[in-house]
Amino acid sequence: MKPQVDGFDKVGSARPTRRGFLDWLISLCSLLAGLAMTIPGLMYLWPAARGGGSDNMEVEGADRMAPGQSRMVQVGGKAVIVIRDRKGFRAYSAICTHLGCLVTWEQAKEQFFCPCHAAVFDAQGRVVSGPAPAPLPAYKIKEVGGRIYVSPA
Amino acid sequence: MGLSRRINSFFDDRFDTETARRFIDKQAHKRLPPHISWFHVFGSLALLLFVSQTITGILLLIYYRPTPEAAYSSIQYITTEVHFGWLYRQIHAWGATLMILVVVLHMVRTYFSGAYKKPRELTWVTGVLIFILTIIFGFTGYLLPWNQIAFWATTIGTESAGKVPFIGEWLLYFLRGGEVVTGETLSRFFVVHVIILPWILTGLIAVHLVLMRLSNLATLEPVGEEKPIPPGHGIPFFPVHVAKEAVVAILLLAGLVTLSILSPWEIGEPANPLVTPAHIKPEWYFLPSYQLLKYFEGPYGAVVGIVACSLPFGLLLFWPFLDRGKERHPRKRPWAVGIGLFGLMAALFLGILGHFSGTDVTLLGRRYHIDLLGRPERLMDEPTSHNPVEH
Repeated sequence: MKPQVDGFDKVGSARPTRRGFLDWLISLCSLLAGLAMTIPGLMYLWPAARGGGSDNMEVEGADRMAPGQSRMVQVGGKAVIVIRDRKGFRAYSAICTHLGCLVTWEQAKEQFFCPCHAAVFDAQGRVVSGPAPAPLPAYKIKEVGGRIYVSPA
Repeated sequence: MGLSRRINSFFDDRFDTETARRFIDKQAHKRLPPHISWFHVFGSLALLLFVSQTITGILLLIYYRPTPEAAYSSIQYITTEVHFGWLYRQIHAWGATLMILVVVLHMVRTYFSGAYKKPRELTWVTGVLIFILTIIFGFTGYLLPWNQIAFWATTIGTESAGKVPFIGEWLLYFLRGGEVVTGETLSRFFVVHVIILPWILTGLIAVHLVLMRLSNLATLEPVGEEKPIPPGHGIPFFPVHVAKEAVVAILLLAGLVTLSILSPWEIGEPANPLVTPAHIKPEWYFLPSYQLLKYFEGPYGAVVGIVACSLPFGLLLFWPFLDRGKERHPRKRPWAVGIGLFGLMAALFLGILGHFSGTDVTLLGRRYHIDLLGRPERLMDEPTSHNPVEH
């Protein structure tokens, strides 16, 4: 007897044989087993949450800041720039919305400048020129007993 | 019976060594097309550099520590304390940059001689993949010293990945192992650099070489009209072409050591996540993208910029399937040669602009400030004899 090829009785017949069905079943089970092993592996690679520092940070030495000066603090692991003007303190994310470098405060021009691709933001964090697609997000400032705290808005 | 004959007969008695010997002999003495020249040595130079990077990389691994606390000081230790540590670190750093240069030269030669055309499309495609992986190799290795330039180059590079449409944010978080560049990022880049990429690249290089040998080196004849090299003609791979490769290989190794001694890579300042250094610039092979990214403004500027920077790589990858003309000789392919030259010139021009942007240069006795977009501006602050005297 001619051996069956591809799990079918003869050419042109679509009736599956027992052997063909078993082949198919083994393939399916192998695929499922493969997926069952791959998915935990992929999940393993996904970053697990890890504390990125406090969400409410004190600005050290804020009382010594003169109007026009700036200071960098980390809030929740992210860089935040605090500036002092005549009215008080304001804080913005220091992370340039273009490609993530940290902006610096240019006291003389009263603007934020990103040293990487020359984005410029005004004193309210709005885009003035350069490639930045969005303004710098503002942070909340709280004054408690003469100390200045920054937290996400 | 001599020792070598005894070793030989040991293998002869157990394996079909005759077939292996015939195969090696055939490969070694293969005849190459007559136009094969000094321009055809870049591929083997790239291979040599890959081997050199592997060896120096393994040596560096012995003393390197992939944590934010220890990485920078371990590099200092390698440079100052370990015997010949400075040399291996320099050869590894210079080897990386030269490898990209050599791969680019190899691609330029292949492109202009039309060697990517049928039946060698897949050799080209694996070659472009090798090129892309070489760049990723450079990028991931760059972070490992954990210095300022590395930290911020990685911040920008991964942020660029974050602008990829649809999956950007996900990709950014995945690459960094969190929201910002931290020790998690260093671990990830380290694993990719020392385990994942070396093995993928080894596999790709093997496929590239096998494909190259299977379809022989291209001649300059049109697709489908390549004539087999008649017996006794052509250039024997060994010893004629191998001799050329050896000469260039020795020059390359000498160049590597010379560069390492005369122009060593500085370690710079350790990474500081709270200060982006002024005027930071990427490596020369990222300068064209760095400069191009500055020109795209507005809410979708960054996305468009990233697409614009990736487009040339996509074009390169699929080029053999886009350029389906039969001619190989550069004089008979004005469009392909024109596009290639334009691409090279554009990359060179953007790279030069990127290099000089934000600096002052003196040209023909006049000083110019090149702004960040690359526009020159004459500096008039220095008084010259032509200035009218002010009263």
